Amino acid sequence: MRSRYYHIMAVCCAALLLGSCATRKIFSTNYYHQNEKVLTDIEHSYRAMYGKRPFSLEFTDKSFNNISLEIITDSVKLIYDFEVHEARLQDTMQKYRLPAEIHQLIEQMKSIRCIWINMLDYYTNNRRETLVFMSIRNVAIHLPFTPEKYYILTFYAQLQYYDSEGRLLAGRNLRRVRKINDEIFMRITDKVCYTISGRFR
Amino acid sequence: MVVATPLEAAAGANADTTPMSTQAQAIALLDKLGTIQQSPHWPNVHPAAFMQNLRKDVEQPFSIYEGRSTNFCGYAALSFLPLHYDPLGFVGFMVKMYQEGKAVYGKAYFEPSKEVKRGAGRLVFKGELDIRPADQMWFMVLADHFKGYLNIFDPHYNPGDENRLWAAVNLAKFCRMIRTLFNYNVSAVGSDLFRPGVRDMYEYLSERLKTGHLALFVNNPGLYRKDHHKLKVGVPTHYIILLNVEEMGDRIACTYWDYGGRTMQLLSPDILKRIVFGIIHITRKSADAQ
Repeated sequence: MRSRYYHIMAVCCAALLLGSCATRKIFSTNYYHQNEKVLTDIEHSYRAMYGKRPFSLEFTDKSFNNISLEIITDSVKLIYDFEVHEARLQDTMQKYRLPAEIHQLIEQMKSIRCIWINMLDYYTNNRRETLVFMSIRNVAIHLPFTPEKYYILTFYAQLQYYDSEGRLLAGRNLRRVRKINDEIFMRITDKVCYTISGRFR
Repeated sequence: MVVATPLEAAAGANADTTPMSTQAQAIALLDKLGTIQQSPHWPNVHPAAFMQNLRKDVEQPFSIYEGRSTNFCGYAALSFLPLHYDPLGFVGFMVKMYQEGKAVYGKAYFEPSKEVKRGAGRLVFKGELDIRPADQMWFMVLADHFKGYLNIFDPHYNPGDENRLWAAVNLAKFCRMIRTLFNYNVSAVGSDLFRPGVRDMYEYLSERLKTGHLALFVNNPGLYRKDHHKLKVGVPTHYIILLNVEEMGDRIACTYWDYGGRTMQLLSPDILKRIVFGIIHITRKSADAQ
């Protein structure tokens, strides 16, 4: 009886261990290479749309049917919640002259489980630069009572500098590791970095 | 050049009156000062960047920004008052602090620690705060001087403490800072752990807004969702300045200041009630007030 109990416990532990490996699988640089074309498309189209009317976009539910849209005007930032196919979304886009390509962006984000896209500013030698910040949600089953992790990608307009361990540096002559949202980022390419974080924004 | 402190500037006025000045007066003072010398007290704060930062604070008071991932939101929120209603007092204090390394603001005498003086101007990776050394100085001076129970475990500044308990602001400390520095009447409902017993939040907030300024102590993840954790600790973590509330159908449109700008967000009455832990009502003191 006792040995049967130990067997059950051993099987459960093994299942938990395997489960935890499965949830981490998405969080590898493979994700970027597997989805490189879509990610690059999203980055380019978002930069172009942002130039016309700054905004950020978030999927607020696990089924990717609801979004939160932050529209930045000269005087105020407006935060609205919509269902993806709601008529109100179209009305709001027209009112604030948001480009129609946002619909395509929403579909592309949904296709790669990207839940948040935003433009962040950062400073190098007192000069303002911008990066595109994307968060990917792991929708696979994950263990209960373990905090959800997000795969964060940052896209830069300029080549970045890294140390021998692949950590993003503050600049060519600055050997200090650059943090974004208090996180250290690792190299994927010269212009793209990633980290794994407990927060998606 | 020595600049009068707000106390000196207000000399002759009723001592129990909230000091007031205009943007034009503050800009005139900045113009008069022109360029200033590098301060030996603040080795990492460049004088030109310091003056440029002060000018931006005065000209665009909504732009003051607490920085990314810091605990400076309480200090940035209370800056709303001097930057809008007494920018001359603010500029006077900051210039004196820069030049002499110590200064008086309202009823408080500030003489920051050496670590703070070395640290100001060196904060990086905080977004626009990186290039606003005067704001770094202001936030760090306040955090160094005013202490609440949250600061007991981290009372002295070390690099990186801007993100930690050293800079945290509990509700009582927030109210005390406004009373001490700017001489306003401050009353608050709510606490650091429990929500205020307000039945109709919209009604309460809109009534209070008619008679003064409102700061709200809110649960930040409730306002800006940052994760999908099901088990959440419901405590307040963020200060905002409420500018307007308006009913829009079944939602409440809240316009508030935080993170260097104004935001208008539609919230359900239920969410609004759930995220607000402290409501701070701030009114001017005037000689003819009852």
